[in-house]
Amino acid sequence: MNNADILIGANLSKRFDDLEVVKDVSLIIKEGEFVSLVGKSGCGKTTLLSLLSGLEQPTKGQVILNGKEITGASEEELALFRREHVGFIFQSFNLIPTLSAWENVALPLFPIKMTNEQRQDRALELLNQMEMGHRTEHLPAALSGGEKQRVAIARALINNPKIVFADEPTGNLDSATGDAIMAILSELHKKQGMTMLMVTHALELAKTADRVIRMQDGEVIT
Amino acid sequence: MNINYIVKELFHRKRRTIVSILGLSIGVALFLILNALSLAYREAARAPLTEIGADITVQRAGNVPEELTGAVFPCSAVTIRREEINKIEKIPGIIGIGQAVLVWVFDPHRAWVVLGIERDNTIGPAILRVFVTAGRFLEDGKSEALVEIAYARQFGIKLGDNVTAAGRSFPVVGLVDASRAPKIAVANLYLSLKDAQAIAAASKLLQTVSPFAPDDINLLFIKAEQKQITSVAAALKEIMGEKAAIATPESFLKLLGSLFALSDKFTWAASLIALLIAILIAFKTMAGNISERVREIGVLKAVGWTQRNVTMQLLTESVIQCFVAGILGILIAVIVAFGLSFMTVNIPIPWEMSPKPHFLPGGGDQLFKTLRLPIHIPAMLAFFALLLSVFVGGLTGALLGRHIATIKPAEVLRHE
Ligand SMILES: Nc1ncnc2c1ncn2[C@@H]1O[C@H](COP(=O)(O)OP(=O)(O)OP(=O)(O)O)[C@@H](O)[C@H]1O
Ligand SMILES: [Mg+2]
Repeated sequence: MNNADILIGANLSKRFDDLEVVKDVSLIIKEGEFVSLVGKSGCGKTTLLSLLSGLEQPTKGQVILNGKEITGASEEELALFRREHVGFIFQSFNLIPTLSAWENVALPLFPIKMTNEQRQDRALELLNQMEMGHRTEHLPAALSGGEKQRVAIARALINNPKIVFADEPTGNLDSATGDAIMAILSELHKKQGMTMLMVTHALELAKTADRVIRMQDGEVIT
Repeated sequence: MNINYIVKELFHRKRRTIVSILGLSIGVALFLILNALSLAYREAARAPLTEIGADITVQRAGNVPEELTGAVFPCSAVTIRREEINKIEKIPGIIGIGQAVLVWVFDPHRAWVVLGIERDNTIGPAILRVFVTAGRFLEDGKSEALVEIAYARQFGIKLGDNVTAAGRSFPVVGLVDASRAPKIAVANLYLSLKDAQAIAAASKLLQTVSPFAPDDINLLFIKAEQKQITSVAAALKEIMGEKAAIATPESFLKLLGSLFALSDKFTWAASLIALLIAILIAFKTMAGNISERVREIGVLKAVGWTQRNVTMQLLTESVIQCFVAGILGILIAVIVAFGLSFMTVNIPIPWEMSPKPHFLPGGGDQLFKTLRLPIHIPAMLAFFALLLSVFVGGLTGALLGRHIATIKPAEVLRHE
């Protein structure tokens, strides 16, 4: 396995008004690593994830993702960067209600110049991989929670990301469905060597990962 | 920008889409129809004059004749002198004039409305050559007569008969169907202008009421530049004095008394207000739509859509809606206009403009020029409305772009 540092966070702090939510956090994630981030509710996990993934700018510190310093980049640059290098999986799926399953998967490709067939081919391939090949034309409202999350995972992968960020991907699912989703993520990591940073507050889920990072009151404690 | 996505959004949010499209299209339709109605009434009001080849008619009111014997002028049309006509011809904006003499002739056993016409002038009553239904029209230099067909039927006058009016005899060479002819200056007996002038000049009674030289007239028809009708009418008043009765499309419009005929500025303002209200409704609906979609927009940004990508998507969405609304509005307007075109307009012709003694058949009847409302949606106006709606769509999209910029992609990480 290649051991290049794919994500470096250095002395990251995030302040909302007078509330410091992330305090001087430094961490490194290597290519192919599956890291989980655990901690109590409100300790700043989601905020740290948004800093590391380029959704938000830190108040202090640096983020280097795939060799590029993203701190200080413009909104526009960040968007393009996310489009190219990053995949997201959310707790509440965040599918577009008006688009079918495959269109949701293809959503990140819409602004990219390519034919609709190309987009669809790629989306269907990923949906098949998620065992969702039979539900490609359905709207999100017609899908179960587990199915929605499978669609969301396919969407996170459509741009061949260098790293996938997942924020409590099983948080809205019952335990059996949650296990199935975890199995998919684990397989992604094992078979395809996908680098992943997953936020969770369930310790047993965190054990699926190669490494667990604990957070408390905005600080990394291990 | 993804058209498929736009279409799906529009269909998914049917209520909003329908409200904004319908709201705007009704505004566009209202704007077009109100203006078209105003134009149609304006057009209709010109009909009584244009059918006699004129834009303005001029008469002078005078005294009522003391007795009804021989040839007399009706009180609504007394002498217009030659030198006045010479001055009138020089008014700027006048394209041409037509002249006529209308006299009432009371013979011992018969009364006539006699009209002397210029045989070869397209301005004025000579236009009725088209309505000669039997025989032929007057010929140059001959003393001949045309008789109105209903009058001829009533008094048993036939083609080839000789009729006598004010002691002069004329062969009847043609019959005229006045029911189809112009409604201004309607008569029973049509002569050449010269013959009618001679009859008027020879009447002592007429001369005592209103002195008349053989080359004077009492009806004047004027064709003028459309844009100068008002100024020409003012100049005519100046020359003719306060007894002048000057009929213009504007004066017929007033007779019509329709709300839409009242003022084009009023119509323009009212229709513009309707359009503006519609635009506001559409704007509010579309803006509300964006606020409902904050999360969706956050997702788009999170997965790598740039501000530009998102704005273009939503801008196209609103432009498409507004464009559809514009087209729909034009369609509604065209359909409504088609329906309204079956409406008839009755334009009252004042008695003064077609004076007839009350005891003659039809003498007391109100004459109307009846026509179908000449309504149509002007292409330029439709184009303007469409352009305006598309502009509103673009403006909405552009304004919402600023709102979109404030939506943070990190927000989508928070669960609902
Ligand atoms: N945009 C913001 N403005 C103000 N305060 C914020 C904002 N985002 C997060 N916070 C605050 O920062 C703290 C950490 O929030 P964060 O969502 O990162 O916690 P978390 O560890 O992800 O919690 P959970 O496990 O419940 O998701 C919370 O107290 C939250 O209220
Ligand atoms: Mg969180």
